[in-house]
Amino acid sequence: MGAENELQLVRDIKDQFIWAVWCRYVVAAVGLALFLSSVLTAGGAFYGLGLVGFVGVYNLVANLIYLFNRKINLWEIVLARTLFQVLDIFCVTFLIYITGWLESPYWFLYLVLIILAGFGVFSSFSVWPVFLIALFSTIFYLGLLVFTYLGWLPVYGPGFTLTSQQLLASIANKAVFTTISFFLLASTVYYFSKLLSQHREELLRNNRQLQAALEELKEVDRLKDEFVTTASHELRTPLSVIRENISLIGDGLTGEINEKQKKLLETSLASVDRLNNMLNSLLDISKLESRAVELKRHQTDLGALALKAIELLKELAEKRNISVVSRLEPGALTWVDSGHIFRVFTNLIDNAVKYTARNGRVTVTVEKAGDAVRCSVEDDGIGIAEKDLSLVFKRFVRLSNAGEMASGSGLGLSICKAIVEMHGGRIWVESKLGLGSRFVFELPKGLPE
Amino acid sequence: MSEAKNRILLIEDEEDIVEALKMRLEGNGYEVIPALDGTDGLNKARTTAPDLIILDIMLPKLDGYKIARMLKFDEKFSMIPILMLTAKVQPADAQKGKEAGADSYMTKPFKADELLTEIKRLIVK
Repeated sequence: MGAENELQLVRDIKDQFIWAVWCRYVVAAVGLALFLSSVLTAGGAFYGLGLVGFVGVYNLVANLIYLFNRKINLWEIVLARTLFQVLDIFCVTFLIYITGWLESPYWFLYLVLIILAGFGVFSSFSVWPVFLIALFSTIFYLGLLVFTYLGWLPVYGPGFTLTSQQLLASIANKAVFTTISFFLLASTVYYFSKLLSQHREELLRNNRQLQAALEELKEVDRLKDEFVTTASHELRTPLSVIRENISLIGDGLTGEINEKQKKLLETSLASVDRLNNMLNSLLDISKLESRAVELKRHQTDLGALALKAIELLKELAEKRNISVVSRLEPGALTWVDSGHIFRVFTNLIDNAVKYTARNGRVTVTVEKAGDAVRCSVEDDGIGIAEKDLSLVFKRFVRLSNAGEMASGSGLGLSICKAIVEMHGGRIWVESKLGLGSRFVFELPKGLPE
Repeated sequence: MSEAKNRILLIEDEEDIVEALKMRLEGNGYEVIPALDGTDGLNKARTTAPDLIILDIMLPKLDGYKIARMLKFDEKFSMIPILMLTAKVQPADAQKGKEAGADSYMTKPFKADELLTEIKRLIVK
């Protein structure tokens, strides 16, 4: 058993100990009330007051132990618990003595104590005292019977009508019956408590294993993150050399070049830039998916943000002769990281413009929808086949009908999804092949808990 | 514009980049002083009175953040504009660069025309 677990076990048993202390106060209070009412009605019951006082006093001691002994060992707390239960047994025996001895109705309280002792199911270790409680119950009860029969204790309560012979037989009967029932009950309680505690230990063990597995996964994720960061970083330096050398030649700093060469160099340059964009996207998606990005949330008007994104991409749209229409409901406020959400807008609008034929139309909508704000970017472009709909947000997925229009990193929509989900929102796509697509995302209005 | 060429101190450990940048900058009328490690770069910054420093971050011996801090802390050299040119693309890195005193922060791979525009802006300022 690890130190951590033992500490938890001590804490659990201690909690139960405190719980028992409060129970005893309640019992003492009830006893006191009964005593007072009996004083008012019938008078007497002097012993009852003594009993209530005694319970109160040793219970106070239990409180003190808890207060002074902050750092407690497992065996100490189990011992203390058992000790106080033995005191409980003594009190029950005394109660039986003063309420009619052999004919007292309070005999069942022993059974209650044995069952209660079984409640402390925190480990197999804390189950065995149940037999101790049964043993003490037997000793105390038999002791009471024998002592009183022998006349060592004065008989208190109602007198007896039995002859001495009958009394002996009755005591013998009761002794056998009591011993058997105490130990039978203790065994039953022990068995079930042990079963429970084994289940509990198994659960704890499973929990620990799961926890360890989770930690391991987190570590793997961190390593992956580190790897992506380092790799993208290491790739950048040679990429810089390639890019700058190509552009030096292309700009004619190394001598004249012809048109054909120039064209080739320009394509190379565009490819280098695309490679660089992919590197950046890869780095972003890795950070976003491992939640290593901290959101800087501010209250943001999504309509205004959408307008800014449209403004940024106006030139591209005009070049392709595509009209961008916006339907923006005013006052669509959400708590978001505007930089990230702006990126979602630009990615979606950029995609829509790219996948729409010349003279097409892209519609950007922002509207309030209950507790959320719904944004959508709709185009009348080539659309997405139904079988592909579930793939669009996956990394590096290039759809069958994208053709030459595809020139991005293949990560744009994955990044959008990661960003939206990080904000507690959701994103989806509706599309009909040949009729266009509609990308929708919803963001909750309020701050997350 | 004075007749004398503006002098740029290029602190960069990757020789291929130094070669390429040297060609680019000299082709655009700048004088280029290369330094291949951190301490050499810091010494040259103090002795050659450059009009601008192009500074990599991950350098042998002394990193770019430290060089920027040491120069900006020193009254004699705090006027020299520093352009950080690095493969570190994380926003946190850029923030760190700005805090160290860099006047500008650009990432690799860079676009030559953007770099030249930025150099011009910083030297005029």
